[in-house]
Amino acid sequence: MTARRPADLTAALSQTIVGQPGVVEALLLALLCNGHVLLEGPPGLAKTLACRALAAALDGEFKRIQFTPDLLPSDIVGTRIFDQRESAFATVVGPIFANIVLADEINRAPAKVQSALLEAMQERQVTIGPETHALPDPFVVMATMNPLDSEGTYALPVAQMDRFLMKVNVGYPTREEELQILDRFAVADTQPLRDVATLDDVRAWRAQAHAVHLDEKLKRYIVELVAITREAERVTVTSAGGATLRAGELIDYGASPRATLALAHLARARALLDDRDFALPDDVRAVAPHALRHRIGFNYRLTTEGVSPDRAIDALIAAIPAP
Amino acid sequence: MVRIRRLAAALAAALAVATVGSAGAAARAQTLQRLTVHSFTLAGDTGQPRVDVPFHLVVTLHVRERVTAIDNLELPILAELELLGDERALASGSNGTLYRETIAVVAHHSGDIVIGPARLQAIDARDRRPKQYSSNGLTLHVAGAAAPVLAIGGDFAAGAMRFTFQLALVVFGTLCAVAIVVLLFRRRAGGASPPPPIAAVVPDPVPRLAVARSPRDQLRDALTVLRAEPTRATAVRIRGVVWRMVGASDGETLADVLQRPEAAGAPMRELLRALERGAFTHDADLAPAIDGACDALERYIAA
Repeated sequence: MTARRPADLTAALSQTIVGQPGVVEALLLALLCNGHVLLEGPPGLAKTLACRALAAALDGEFKRIQFTPDLLPSDIVGTRIFDQRESAFATVVGPIFANIVLADEINRAPAKVQSALLEAMQERQVTIGPETHALPDPFVVMATMNPLDSEGTYALPVAQMDRFLMKVNVGYPTREEELQILDRFAVADTQPLRDVATLDDVRAWRAQAHAVHLDEKLKRYIVELVAITREAERVTVTSAGGATLRAGELIDYGASPRATLALAHLARARALLDDRDFALPDDVRAVAPHALRHRIGFNYRLTTEGVSPDRAIDALIAAIPAP
Repeated sequence: MVRIRRLAAALAAALAVATVGSAGAAARAQTLQRLTVHSFTLAGDTGQPRVDVPFHLVVTLHVRERVTAIDNLELPILAELELLGDERALASGSNGTLYRETIAVVAHHSGDIVIGPARLQAIDARDRRPKQYSSNGLTLHVAGAAAPVLAIGGDFAAGAMRFTFQLALVVFGTLCAVAIVVLLFRRRAGGASPPPPIAAVVPDPVPRLAVARSPRDQLRDALTVLRAEPTRATAVRIRGVVWRMVGASDGETLADVLQRPEAAGAPMRELLRALERGAFTHDADLAPAIDGACDALERYIAA
């Protein structure tokens, strides 16, 4: 029997989801890195479908939590209830106990609820009353945010954003892709492919991704990419009005060392997705925007000068020559 | 003709070993030397070389530390010149270490040739941070063919005698002038400490090749080089040469290079991918990767 490869999952997801290769790749990278993803995009762009398809392909458990302003931490992690027949407290685990958890519109819940989720993401365990419960392995949180509607939302604190391995911007499909969507979904719902790989496969792939070779030159490249976010004075960006600005004027703080680790993990995982056991400069450069996007603190001038965050990040990445 | 070709191939291999030797050692070491760089220069013994007349490029590095070798020194890419020979000299003294590498080259076309800087990767002993040092670059103006040395007249013997006599006078006069200048300089210097000793660098006389270097010729040399010195440093160096051949610049990635029209052919794409593997794969895969790069080079040359 031929060993299953991560690329098999990519192919399976591509059969269910039309377009959105960035989202599919991000989900698989998060899976291989044992990290979590923040997906930002308007509603209706197959974010939920992608997460559901991934869970189905892995034969893993999938849970969706719709974040609302009245949500409580116990609604996520679980609670203890008194069982009158047994005359004892029993633990009821929350929806976070799943392999793939979709935290829909995470910024709609107050900070207390966000903290409960993000703590679980970091520690990979949950404490309910006197008992500590380990979360399943793999455990991947796919959180979504809607950029169009900011009323009644609670911005994620910087320290909590940093816990996401990557942030991916989900864009609209092309015309051709939308035609395919019409053909595929207009008549009947497409059922996602099931059991393409097992959870044991994922654990084996993670070990393989960890062993992917990252050359010394690439390590230095990664360090330089993160360092430039803190020393952005020497990088210039063109504003919407055509003015040349120093990127440093748009940034309050740069990326943390967690970004360095994230870049290395993601580059290794991307190499494995491409069936390589060594990473290339292309791997680092391709994942750099996703790893840096939510870790750089842009200030108000970014908006007033009409510069998009991604344009500023592209300028920072372009300022460091690849090895 | 066959003899000349064999000689050229042997020469290219020998030169390649010498050229990439220092970088190859660095790759093996996987560590950077801790150095305090005082000066790092690239110079030519002439600013206006002539077509088909050999000349020399000299890379000079002065560091404060006393070291027995300079690792991680990358010589400039000399794609528009034919390499004839390479000589390295290293002298350590109380003033530190003076490293000098003399590269004998020849140009086969007239016009301007821009030579990039030599590069050195080392840990700066002052702040303990890894740095890349660059020497200056050079722009050479290659003039047309050399003027004939002897004007053959009616009486060849008389002309030859006259020329020999004039040449002897010129050589004698030059030697006298040099001796006087050296004596004056030593007296003026007084008690100052002498500069660190430098071994005399005399490149081996090498026969010139009369053929122009086409990209395919350069790749043929690269293949000889890679077979002679199958190291990661050589693979990285040849990768740089091939990237420049397709018009790519430093800082691009393979994805950028593959989008260039010059890289549209299947053999070139295969070669670029093979060299990328040789440059970044892990040590256990390096030998197969370099074999793959050699095969890709062969296929490109044959295509």
